[in-house]
Amino acid sequence: MQYQTIIYQQESGIGKITLNRPEKLNAINDLMLEELDNLLREKETDIEVRVMVIEGAGRCFSVGQDLSGVDTAEVMPNRRGRRSAKELIGWGTRWNRRLEYIFNYLKPTIAQVHGHCLGLGCYNAMASDITIASEDAVFGDPSLRMGLLTGTPLWTWLIGVKKTKELLYLGRYIDAREAEQICLINRVVPRDRLEEEVDRYAQALSLSPGDGMVAAKESINAQMEARGVGSAWRFLTEMQALNWMQQRDIPPGEFDFWEAREKKGLKEALKERDAKVEEFFPKPFSP
Amino acid sequence: MTTFRQITKWVTQYQKRQWEFTPYEGREYTAALYEKQGRIARITLNRPEKRNAINDKMFEDMLAGLHQANDDPEVRVVIIRGAGSTFSAGHDLSSPIGEESPPVHPDLTPTVRDFYNIERRRCNKHEDLFNFPKPTIAQVHGYCIGAGGEIQAACDITIAAEDAQFGVRGFGVAPIGVYGANLGPWPSGSRRMMAGNMFPELSGKEMEATGAINKAVPRDKLEEEVMKWAEALATIPPDALAVTKEFVNGLLDITGYGAHWRAHYEGHVSIQWVRFRPDEVSFYRAKKYGGLKGFLKDRAAHATPKRKRGS
Repeated sequence: MQYQTIIYQQESGIGKITLNRPEKLNAINDLMLEELDNLLREKETDIEVRVMVIEGAGRCFSVGQDLSGVDTAEVMPNRRGRRSAKELIGWGTRWNRRLEYIFNYLKPTIAQVHGHCLGLGCYNAMASDITIASEDAVFGDPSLRMGLLTGTPLWTWLIGVKKTKELLYLGRYIDAREAEQICLINRVVPRDRLEEEVDRYAQALSLSPGDGMVAAKESINAQMEARGVGSAWRFLTEMQALNWMQQRDIPPGEFDFWEAREKKGLKEALKERDAKVEEFFPKPFSP
Repeated sequence: MTTFRQITKWVTQYQKRQWEFTPYEGREYTAALYEKQGRIARITLNRPEKRNAINDKMFEDMLAGLHQANDDPEVRVVIIRGAGSTFSAGHDLSSPIGEESPPVHPDLTPTVRDFYNIERRRCNKHEDLFNFPKPTIAQVHGYCIGAGGEIQAACDITIAAEDAQFGVRGFGVAPIGVYGANLGPWPSGSRRMMAGNMFPELSGKEMEATGAINKAVPRDKLEEEVMKWAEALATIPPDALAVTKEFVNGLLDITGYGAHWRAHYEGHVSIQWVRFRPDEVSFYRAKKYGGLKGFLKDRAAHATPKRKRGS
């Protein structure tokens, strides 16, 4: 199958998905979402693929949802227009099933992260079994800066409540070292050793019996489920629906991302979004 | 003899959040102070001569402050801090009989139902703070012991001085339940907090390393750091922030956080019937014969030797 926004390569049992919109910093639009869905579904039943690696082409892993408003009805709906609760819950269900699907994918998954790993990019990395990042990686979820709820419940399971609140409330970006320290990721390596390190993990994982690996993953995820992560996806769906309804009326004086984008363009809107918090919490660095 | 029933009122569990029926209009804040600077409200625990030990008046003033901060649309962030040398030394063990803050005095011959009533109210106050609709920051310096630790744990963000001291000192009985809230699995991940250190006293710096608090800074930078966080939080859209807080707290409920609060007060109830061996320190017995100071001395003599820093 031909893909426009991703590249798929496979070599000796290791599948590698490359998010491939480098000129847009691998922002995820509807097409990429669909192509990822199709590819993952197709490869899940392929027993030749023993490990799945996901990486980004160009300067970073992914900056998250494409905020341009072009071909983004699914990934970043326009807040305007009255949508029914049914529609919104349907949207939220699709959103969460997608991440839950990656989380429960029947093969071990590794996210290979360099540069920005924000929003949906970060949710994907969190849903992967193992995340290995280079020292120049930056993690974060700036959703709340534009009034949006985060898109994954895995935060509290991975990093605990105080850190979750810190990262979500402020939309704070953290570097790879801090991400490793708080257990958001597994390992940090220098930039020039990233690929080699991921390959080492992937090869080691590919040596395990495939069925045994799936059983192990399933039982670990079942432990997460026992700690409530299954209900959490559903809870997020409902809170997302509430959050989108809330977006219909942004009180005067509050930052309105959609209006800012319409009037000043995406770049300026993002600058305005980040400037207020970054006065106090500057980005670690700009990869 | 007064009974417990005569001096407390029965409140069902289907009550409003307690700060909602703690009025603030015309209140004279004394044991905790309330002030506002623009979008930031500050509640200062204010019994410095008692190291901010918590009695009923302090809790009431704090709840009234939360009520006032909730009703004021301009307020976006609430900071809780302590006046004087410490954040808080925990429950005031010298409180008079009948106060809700210290353990219920056995001379009041309380029934199990009485215990449930008081413990529920006491623990729900912390839960109400935890679910307060605006973001909260605990600014911790000096001692942050027992119930003081509960307060900081129930805040969204905790910034502490590096030399602050967190911990719990049981009433001569096992420090049961109490630190389920702060040092247990939820804020930090049990593996880091519990491994080999059941109920340690930790410095601000050590707490930061476990992930149980957000940041530790040198004592003289504390105020500045907290204001930085507060001002940054004040720029975030408040309604969406309330939804996010509800979401994150809801996630914790899914993992059993609600049941944990319940277990906490049930633990309080059950320790009322702990039997003390002759060589153990009973709070009431020690207090009866040696006064509060005598009890503290007895307890210190029986405490586990302090872990050496860095060992």
